[in-house]
Amino acid sequence: MAASAKNPTARQARIQKALKAAFRPELSTGGEDTVKIRVCAGTTCNAFGRVALSDALTAELDQRGLSDKVRVVLTGCHGLCQEGPIVVVHPQGVFYPRLKAADIAEIVETSVVGEGVVERLLYRHPETGEAVPLEKDVPFYAGQTRIVRGMNGFIDPTSIDDYLARGGYAPLAEVLVQDDPDAVIDEVERSGLRGRGGAGFPTGKKWRFCRANPGEKHYIICNGDEGDPGAFMDRAVLEDNPHSLIEGMLIAAFAIGADEGYVYVRHEYPLAVARLRLALSQARERGLLGNNILGTGWNFDLRINQGAGAFVCGESTALTASIEGHRGMPRGKHIRTVAHGLWKQPTNLNNVESYATVPWIIANGAEALAAMGTDTSKGTKIFSLTGKARNSGLVEVPMGATLRDVIFGVGGGMQEGHEFKAVQLGGPSGGCLPADLLDTPIDFENLTKYGSMMGSGGMVVVDETTCMVDFAKFFFKFTAEESCGKCVPCRIGTQRVLEILERISDGEGTQGDIDLLERLSDDIIEGSLCQLGGSAPNPVLTTLRYFRDEVMAHVEEKRCPAKVCRPLIQYLIDPEACTGCHVCFGACPTDAISGESKALHVINQALCIKCDTCRQVCKFDAVPVVDARPALVEGRQQ
Amino acid sequence: MASRSRKTGSAEPRGSALYEVIKGIDFERRELVDKSRGVGLFDLVKDREGSYRCYACTLCERTCPVDCIELDYCPEFEELPFDIAAERAAALASLPGESCGAGAACVMGEKPAGFQPDIDMKLFDKVIAGIREGSGLVEAFHTTQETFGYLPRVALEDIASEMGLPFSRVFGVASFYSQFRLTPVGKHVISVCMGTACHVAGAPLVAEAFAQELDVAVGGTTPDLLFTLQTVNCIGACALAPAVRVGEEETHARVTPQAARKLIRTIRKKEA
Repeated sequence: MAASAKNPTARQARIQKALKAAFRPELSTGGEDTVKIRVCAGTTCNAFGRVALSDALTAELDQRGLSDKVRVVLTGCHGLCQEGPIVVVHPQGVFYPRLKAADIAEIVETSVVGEGVVERLLYRHPETGEAVPLEKDVPFYAGQTRIVRGMNGFIDPTSIDDYLARGGYAPLAEVLVQDDPDAVIDEVERSGLRGRGGAGFPTGKKWRFCRANPGEKHYIICNGDEGDPGAFMDRAVLEDNPHSLIEGMLIAAFAIGADEGYVYVRHEYPLAVARLRLALSQARERGLLGNNILGTGWNFDLRINQGAGAFVCGESTALTASIEGHRGMPRGKHIRTVAHGLWKQPTNLNNVESYATVPWIIANGAEALAAMGTDTSKGTKIFSLTGKARNSGLVEVPMGATLRDVIFGVGGGMQEGHEFKAVQLGGPSGGCLPADLLDTPIDFENLTKYGSMMGSGGMVVVDETTCMVDFAKFFFKFTAEESCGKCVPCRIGTQRVLEILERISDGEGTQGDIDLLERLSDDIIEGSLCQLGGSAPNPVLTTLRYFRDEVMAHVEEKRCPAKVCRPLIQYLIDPEACTGCHVCFGACPTDAISGESKALHVINQALCIKCDTCRQVCKFDAVPVVDARPALVEGRQQ
Repeated sequence: MASRSRKTGSAEPRGSALYEVIKGIDFERRELVDKSRGVGLFDLVKDREGSYRCYACTLCERTCPVDCIELDYCPEFEELPFDIAAERAAALASLPGESCGAGAACVMGEKPAGFQPDIDMKLFDKVIAGIREGSGLVEAFHTTQETFGYLPRVALEDIASEMGLPFSRVFGVASFYSQFRLTPVGKHVISVCMGTACHVAGAPLVAEAFAQELDVAVGGTTPDLLFTLQTVNCIGACALAPAVRVGEEETHARVTPQAARKLIRTIRKKEA
């Protein structure tokens, strides 16, 4: 941004001085060139036993008298959750995945005291099987372009000085020096940033509308109610780099002229709430938030508002209703929230990721962001890649990357022995895309064209073991439960769709049901006020569009090709493979399996509840799942 | 998806059927004093058979700008004066499933949720303090639930009176959000993640195994108040799928039905 001419020197000096005073370099954990060990302390790595690991590490360093020389940094999520717990040793940047506390001593000996690497613990390239010693060479990281997540995994999220050491809050200072809100909005508008929450409304435009609307007060809200099942990129920003969100919101507030803001976070993310709360108090303490920000006399403060488990509260008007203390029900949007939002005042509402991108735009210029992506969608997008992909985790790629790039490039392809069947994008409002659309470049328009949507960025990869009817049923169960009940077509329609899908998966569907599904879906879309109902039928519509054969197999042949729908399948014991090891006998919860040790076992179909336990415990693959009908016929022949 | 054209062209004029119904009813139209609002008093309209037309849908109560309408008792019972406190106590004592008696303090048709143990109201002071500092309704619920593990009815009543809101409004908000529990909760809350990734990895089988082992339905609490089984939409730990959370802290990764049963047995053994 070009410096403005408006009284530059005195103001600039004051702001720079305040920013310098806010930074206490001695408290920062140092750059990547210093001697330190980064331990991922994200939710996933914690569940994989990170605590025992870092305790062992601290003990080992203490024992060797290295604890004052080598810093152990508990960072936010590194993104490659599948390989947790992750440890990176600096200055070399050696990457150790799936560590156990027992390996710590060897790593300290070799990589910290010495400069070598522990060959046996290194990450293996998923295809070639070669060892990849350095973090930056791991294909999962090498394939990404990290803007929003640039610092995640490198900094200690509980330290404001780590953020400041990497140039944090400098963009805010720049904006304040320039003192020209319109220039900020211009900059964001030129960058082409579009809302990352799913709808893709141009962020700069929204800010301009909000600023122009008259009101006693302007509010800004951050939507962190990430309710989509299978999406966790907002949580990652909140947990791993909360200051980037705070800074983005400060810049937005300055541009819009707001003096109060809310961050709406899901209650299911306790760690995110705690980290954000800490970050807010740090920012206030250092004069970056609250009264007289950076000595300019400008006041702005943020409050945290916790959700309470309602998916519909991710919708802007429902979210404001929830903050005001009402049931989270959306209203008609003939009047936009930018004119009439929280407490009936002009309100700007953006997603976590949108706000977190703003400091980067100010620091690097609008052109840098506009240079990435496609004609209509600029910049990068974080996806949470989950399901049957080899590398589950968070992936940030430029817009316009193809689904194949993400799933088979960064994601490392499918898990061993599984075959790609579909990818589900955009949570319960999105749709499933089949293998022949894998080369589709990802942007807002393209995904909508194929019946799915960007959503907040959930990307669930499924394989041949997922039944598409069951999958659609899952999403409808979700929307039927989460519909707020205001619009009848959504409240009752989703329930009816669920019932039809249940009928189909029970093998009682008819051709008429398929037509009814299509008609009902149209009516739900047409008759709903908000996008929960407006996009709820997407999963079933895309299933009918791309996986009609599979649905028809349920309807016409009464067969579930993926062997999931219970009334259509049966568990048998293969006489050839069964060794009589007696494991399934002990595991069966309903005592449906009979047989002596070292003799063939038999499943009593009348007692079997098809819970899949026997198949999972069998070490000899002797429990095949077969179509119910032919098996019955076979049984009679025997 | 292109929208389909709507079916139109009925021969009957719009709304005529409804008109046929209303025109037969003799509305008791009362003359209001000709001064403006607030002077005339509202009453409930009776239909020809003499029963009230009010369905207690609470719309008027919720829409009233000055909260002057409160749904209170059922006028079917004429014996006035009406002792709200006694009725309420009677309603609270009645067991779930049983009729609460139409004359009880009935809020949106919701019957009291069974027996609720007495709570220590001293603990409730911080919620009230929070409200006085300007916390919202939802935040007050969160603090209450953190304190008691659920939202006791007395607590909701206190919040309503503290905030000057009708009880129906407070109750309506509490019952809207799936995180808030209106019944006491077990010592160990088992949350089975039902996110997409977990679903694909077999979470429904896991939830079922828990339900079977505990002999309660999802959402239920065991009679010994040891376990509450619930499903949550997504805890955002998809690499752990299927994930199960016990309490607030403990997360179990890649749970199988077999592991689920074992988990319950381990906790039971520890508790015994």
